[in-house]
Amino acid sequence: MTEITPTVLDCGKTLDELSDYLAADRTPFDASIETCPECLNALEALERLGQLSRDLLEHEAEQLPPVSEAWIQTIMTSISQEMRAGRSLPLAHPDPQVQLSITEGAIRSLVRATGDSIDGILIGRCILDGDVETPGAPIHLTVSASIAWGNSGPERADLVRTRLYAALRQHTDLNIAGIDITIENIHDIPLRAQEIS
Amino acid sequence: MSVDLNADLNAVDDAVLVERATDGDTAAFEVIIRRHGPLMRSYAYRILRSEADADDVVQDAFYTAWRQLSEIRDPAAVRSWLMRIVSRTAFTHLRRRPATETDTLLHLAVATTPDPETAAIRNAQLDALSGALDRLPEDQKQCWLLRELVSLSYTEIAQELHLTPGAVRGKLARARASVAIEMEEWR
Repeated sequence: MTEITPTVLDCGKTLDELSDYLAADRTPFDASIETCPECLNALEALERLGQLSRDLLEHEAEQLPPVSEAWIQTIMTSISQEMRAGRSLPLAHPDPQVQLSITEGAIRSLVRATGDSIDGILIGRCILDGDVETPGAPIHLTVSASIAWGNSGPERADLVRTRLYAALRQHTDLNIAGIDITIENIHDIPLRAQEIS
Repeated sequence: MSVDLNADLNAVDDAVLVERATDGDTAAFEVIIRRHGPLMRSYAYRILRSEADADDVVQDAFYTAWRQLSEIRDPAAVRSWLMRIVSRTAFTHLRRRPATETDTLLHLAVATTPDPETAAIRNAQLDALSGALDRLPEDQKQCWLLRELVSLSYTEIAQELHLTPGAVRGKLARARASVAIEMEEWR
């Protein structure tokens, strides 16, 4: 195919180069581009085209009828049939004939429910380390959390740890050797239903 | 699910939602669907030009996403990851579909700025770009959308489409030339 629009500018720069430069957010600063009127013109045109493309996508998203609840629930129904149980952790029982176990998924769920119930805390990831499939083996938990603005990180983290120990002791007899809490994100304080009304 | 948990989930960053969803929390995944679904549908619609097909493709993309969540390298960049999946799914669907099934296209013209003249020019620009993109050959369109709408680098597009970065560069240059010609009068 012959090029109708020249991709090399009179100054010698190619549109590809300029497109790359733009994609890198115009860093590192390239004086040969930033001081060349022709390059600046082309950059502006490329930038406008990119912006217009993104506007087009947003515009069409607004024009399409909103997603229906049924459409979302179809996805939800389908994915909840693929639960992530993970490994099975044995639990002790006085009768050796009885074998009890709890799944990793259930423990994560317990960790989330316990952590989320604390004001200003939302649990992120929960990783279980250790020889989890051996009864009584020490297990280490690494939990990340997001904290709402205005809360003290160390204070909330201590509370999460205390509550998690208590909940795990109450619902399982796992040998929890340690719990690391890292606060990785900060979120706005969400509006509660009663505050909106 | 309590109303409060919903409010909390809506307030947190994508990274936290992805972590929870990876651990099996479907409620967090639902927030991801609500947050990113609309733009994914618009992306799929741009490719397929059929609302029904776009809806199907985005659902499929979310099933794939749910199964592959643990493979995300950067949970904060979930939007770009989802857009890549929807792009892949939509083009696969496009190749399998009989040629003629598209909707009467959405009419884009909507004046939202206070100045009617500016709005008219803007709508004409969007229409012109929309038409120009529709007329691009499939491979060029695919590269263009990944580049401009998902902000992937040449190398990332090359990996995505199993091409060399040089081939991607060439396709984008041709796409840019065609689009620029069609958009000429709007410069």
